Amino acid sequence: MNDPLPKIELLSLLFLPLAGAIVVALLGPNRQELVRRVSLGVTVVVLFLAILLAWRYVEEPVRSMTTAEQLPTFRPVFVPGSPGTITDALNRPQPNPHGTSWNLIPFGSAAIQFYIGLDGFNVWLIVLTAVLSLPSVLVSWRQINERVNEFYAWFLALQTAMMGIFLSFDIVLFYVFFEFSLVPLFFLIGIWGGPERRHAAGKFFIYTLTGSVITLLGVIGVVLACRAKSGELTFSIPRLVEIVHERLLYVPAERDYWLGVQGVVFLALMAGFAIKVPLVPFHTWLPLAHVEAPTAGSVDLAGVLLKVGAYGFLRLCVPLAPDVSLTMGLPLVSTLACIGIIYGAFCSYAQDDIKKMVAYSSVSHLGLCMLGMFALNPAGLTGSLMQMINHGLSTGAMFLLVGMLYERYHTRKISDFGGMAARLPLLGAFMVFVCLSSVGLPGLNGFIGEALSLFGVFEQQWLVQKQFPWYAIAGAAGMVLGAWYLFTMLQRVFFGELKEPPVVGHDSHEPITDLNLREILTVAPIMVLCLAIGVYPQPMLESMKPEVDSVSRIAQMARERGSPAPALSLRDDKQENRTP
Amino acid sequence: MFEIRSILWLIPALPLAAAALTGLLGPRFLRKNSHWPCILAVAGACVLSFLVLSKVVHAEAPFVERYYTWMQSGSLDIGLTLRADGLTAIMLITITFVGSLIAIFSVGYMSHEREHEAGYARFFAAMALFVFSMTLLVLGDNYIVLFAGWEGVGLCSYLLIGFWFKKPSAAAAARKAFLVTRLGDAGMIVGILLLWGGYLSTHTDTSVRPVADNLIGGLASNLTQASPADALSFDTLFRWASSTRPDDTESQLFFGTVALLLLCGAVGKSAQIPLYVWLPDAMEGPTPVSALIHAATMVTAGVYLIARSMPIFHAAPPAVLLTVASIGAATALLAALIALTQHDLKRVLAYSTISQIGYMFLALGCATTDSLVLVAVTAAIFHLFTHAFFKALLFLSAGSVMHAMGNVIDMRRFSGLRTVLPKTHWTFLCGAAALAGVPLLSGFWSKDEIIGAALEASHHAYGSVYMVLFIMALVTAGLTAFYTFRAYFLTFWGEVKIPPEAGHHAHESPPVMTIPLMILAVGAVGLGLIVQPFTHWFSHLLEHHWLHSAFARSIEPAPHGFNVPLMLGSSVFALGGVGLAWLMYVRSPALPGKLAGAMQGLYQLSLNKFHVDELYYVFFVGPVTLFASFCQVVDFLVDSVVDLVGQLPGLAGKLIRPIQNGLVQFYALAMILGLTVFLSALVLRLAR
Repeated sequence: MNDPLPKIELLSLLFLPLAGAIVVALLGPNRQELVRRVSLGVTVVVLFLAILLAWRYVEEPVRSMTTAEQLPTFRPVFVPGSPGTITDALNRPQPNPHGTSWNLIPFGSAAIQFYIGLDGFNVWLIVLTAVLSLPSVLVSWRQINERVNEFYAWFLALQTAMMGIFLSFDIVLFYVFFEFSLVPLFFLIGIWGGPERRHAAGKFFIYTLTGSVITLLGVIGVVLACRAKSGELTFSIPRLVEIVHERLLYVPAERDYWLGVQGVVFLALMAGFAIKVPLVPFHTWLPLAHVEAPTAGSVDLAGVLLKVGAYGFLRLCVPLAPDVSLTMGLPLVSTLACIGIIYGAFCSYAQDDIKKMVAYSSVSHLGLCMLGMFALNPAGLTGSLMQMINHGLSTGAMFLLVGMLYERYHTRKISDFGGMAARLPLLGAFMVFVCLSSVGLPGLNGFIGEALSLFGVFEQQWLVQKQFPWYAIAGAAGMVLGAWYLFTMLQRVFFGELKEPPVVGHDSHEPITDLNLREILTVAPIMVLCLAIGVYPQPMLESMKPEVDSVSRIAQMARERGSPAPALSLRDDKQENRTP
Repeated sequence: MFEIRSILWLIPALPLAAAALTGLLGPRFLRKNSHWPCILAVAGACVLSFLVLSKVVHAEAPFVERYYTWMQSGSLDIGLTLRADGLTAIMLITITFVGSLIAIFSVGYMSHEREHEAGYARFFAAMALFVFSMTLLVLGDNYIVLFAGWEGVGLCSYLLIGFWFKKPSAAAAARKAFLVTRLGDAGMIVGILLLWGGYLSTHTDTSVRPVADNLIGGLASNLTQASPADALSFDTLFRWASSTRPDDTESQLFFGTVALLLLCGAVGKSAQIPLYVWLPDAMEGPTPVSALIHAATMVTAGVYLIARSMPIFHAAPPAVLLTVASIGAATALLAALIALTQHDLKRVLAYSTISQIGYMFLALGCATTDSLVLVAVTAAIFHLFTHAFFKALLFLSAGSVMHAMGNVIDMRRFSGLRTVLPKTHWTFLCGAAALAGVPLLSGFWSKDEIIGAALEASHHAYGSVYMVLFIMALVTAGLTAFYTFRAYFLTFWGEVKIPPEAGHHAHESPPVMTIPLMILAVGAVGLGLIVQPFTHWFSHLLEHHWLHSAFARSIEPAPHGFNVPLMLGSSVFALGGVGLAWLMYVRSPALPGKLAGAMQGLYQLSLNKFHVDELYYVFFVGPVTLFASFCQVVDFLVDSVVDLVGQLPGLAGKLIRPIQNGLVQFYALAMILGLTVFLSALVLRLAR
């Protein structure tokens, strides 16, 4: 545990991209090839570090499992800095299990800390971020020719921001990274985007910022509420979760107070996260931002940034407001998610722009992710996490392929294309593969997330709540609808009679060729990962277990608080809802 | 000599390896030799399947082997578990044996593609992948592994129907096939969820201590005490299903719901009413594909699913089985009626496939009492087995005709081919006779078992309905004989007519194609006689190596006997159909035209497939597409609302902008007014 190496690796994982960004920015606009190479080098090293850390995490022999006697909370490992101290009620220094010695801004006895670490929730999201940054750099190689150094500088800064969101265990640090991530993407869309880029970037920035400001209220609220009741000021997420549960469990008199706090906190936090996910009806910034963003921006936006919303729900909303998550969050979020699944799919079908279609498909897929999460049981939570990763991989790959198509023809309209598989067989084959992963074909990654989520949702609604399993049915309908719009797109764009859009632009004299080696290397690793996760996901599921168990225990305790009888009396009234 | 554990996984693994090899290396390195991995792997799997059969026959209980944990979290535990019992063994042999012959045949048939190496490799990679998925489907020991194979075969079907993707009709047919079957799959997955949930809820200990208690001092307890892995595996589920009491109506209702949802999947995959519309279009694929996937194996997956889940269907109210039987009989009759007038040889065969699978569903639906379970399942699986042979034979023979005719398949454009294609003529005749149910050929025996089962079932619950279904089955038998021989006579008899597309080289196919045809022909003629009616190998295998392990209580199968009057009756229908076809298409070829003219309405209805596709378009596809456009409009509105809210700060600014008018007097006035208000408030507050 006290091995300094992983901690150094973790820090370099976080700050290497930022350092790279500064170097790239200083290199100046004229040394384009060098800028590209440096960025590529940085992303490769980051990817290596991420994989190394994930491997270390999986191998970690003394991963701190929450035992039954302990209150459920997060226990990150590889935290830089020494464990740190807090003063207890008698003003004696005590070792702090939920913090570090690296204080950023002291507040009397407590401090906003530079508290980062790895746990089962973020380890794979870190890997996902690193995995997707490599193809983003590669795909921009020829696409971005103006202000190259600035582009890569913003791009690398975005990596640091995203890593920071996932790694933070200090609530203020989390929020800082959360807000910071908007800035690089704003510039990426606003400078290198399509014709409507200014409008898109502005809308994206203001819409998500509005939500996050309300999230800040929630963040402050929960810190103050914990301080008011326990007298302890802390910004450490694990400690906050623990305090909430200590009070709920051991001080019954405060129950009403905490229910009220939870309601406010949940809604405030949700405001920012629901826009980020996005949940219908807060999704309309997404298609616009996607369509206008350069390919690398789309990949990071869909692949990683959307996960931030879901991740926020998982890391903050549910653990800090468990009772309200169950009583209000579950029906509210699940209903919105179900609407999103169906509605997103139908909107997706109606699009003529491939990128827009993929954008709406994200709404649909993340609906299932949220549905699984609010099943609030191990299967659902695991499924939700898997869905985040899988959606990142398959939608990221899809945006890459669409970008490659756009690079060749400078159009993304489905009606402009036809029979492209004959012209670009490899691109077509890759697209079919990625679509299959996206529709949840067993053996590829999508199925793992879908199956776990559906089983989790079904368990929650039918076995625990004893309701008609609407949510699972909506999820299953999403499977059909997903196949519907994706396969229609495939048929229109890649199959049938060859219909090539006229080639315009500066390189019109060059013949259109199939994927080159750089492009194959961009997408193929993602496809390999899709297959690997689909065939043997268990090591990943295993490594998520401690945190998944913590959160499902949190939810289970909330269930028991909510119902006077033991929540799991399954046998007695199993028959009640067996309506067809 | 061999551990079954070590050979079981090889059966799907060999074709998978071949698929990966061909898919990755084919276009570059294997090129014209791309067929070898596929043929070798499928043939190897075939040998192993026979080995498995020999092991199963000598085993007491089914082999079940969990290879690794696929996904496990909380109360969900899915392992990659394979099983081998009698039912699996039969399916495996059918798939791999017919599969290897078809793979060999494809070498000749796809020879045009050999120049475009990528296509050639793509074809064999997909074929191998199909055999992998199909064997996984029948080997899986839980519903999720079964579902994985189920979706896998759907994918391969999609890839192979769309093999000539440059043809818009092929691309459309591929998409249609995938989507229509997926519609059924959604129902099936809900059924699986329900079954899983039902098992967990009845097998979970209620005395689980709350988590909060554990916190204060106790041990962690799992949420459920039944092993979650059991909740999806066949053995435990079937034992649970078959041990429900007949008077337990709630459980019956539960199993009925599950069964109906599973039936959704089966109906989609096996092209039954109402989801049969994709199969005729699927004939856009290369003919070997039609033979393997859309005749012999994949489309019978639904039959396998119901046979495998028979304990669940049996635990359901009898009305569910009646539904299965009615869907089967109605599909059989409808498809046969459509097949009567089709001009496309492959479409005749496609509708005939739908019709024959309808027979199998009818058979399965007859398992209304304990004693009928074995009879029904044997009849269905026996027909599946013989059908795989004779239908694959018919399709391949049709393929051989197409090969010679330059890909023309319209029966109005060729005739009298029996002298041009003598070997194909004979093999087609064997297949046609078997399909028509000509006495003593394999189709006769298996169809007879089905009709007998229907008659048997008419003595039990819903007897009168089963009587109607029985009569429908008999009529369909006559129609089958008629349309099969209509196709045969139109193709091979009459004056020699060869379309110009065939060129001058209309000749018999090479041996690589005719030898598989001959092997299949032998099977189509003789296999039925050997394996069941006198030896009872089939029913014994199913009884000892499937029935007893599937049902928790012991089930006494009905004794096996011949129903001679029934056999004679069905022979009359079959031979009558053949005779009528001979009369109409050989003896007096003007007759069909006159008949069609006389019954123009009926004829057009059948020719246009009862307009079902158009109806679906109007009532289903159209509204759904419309709804998508509607959603887009809604999305625009939602976005407008967002933009409107975005304008609010600006509007508010506009409202109060006049205040900032730049007049110093105004500012001074405002200051004084403000100060006055503030001071008065202060004074009033203090004065109180």
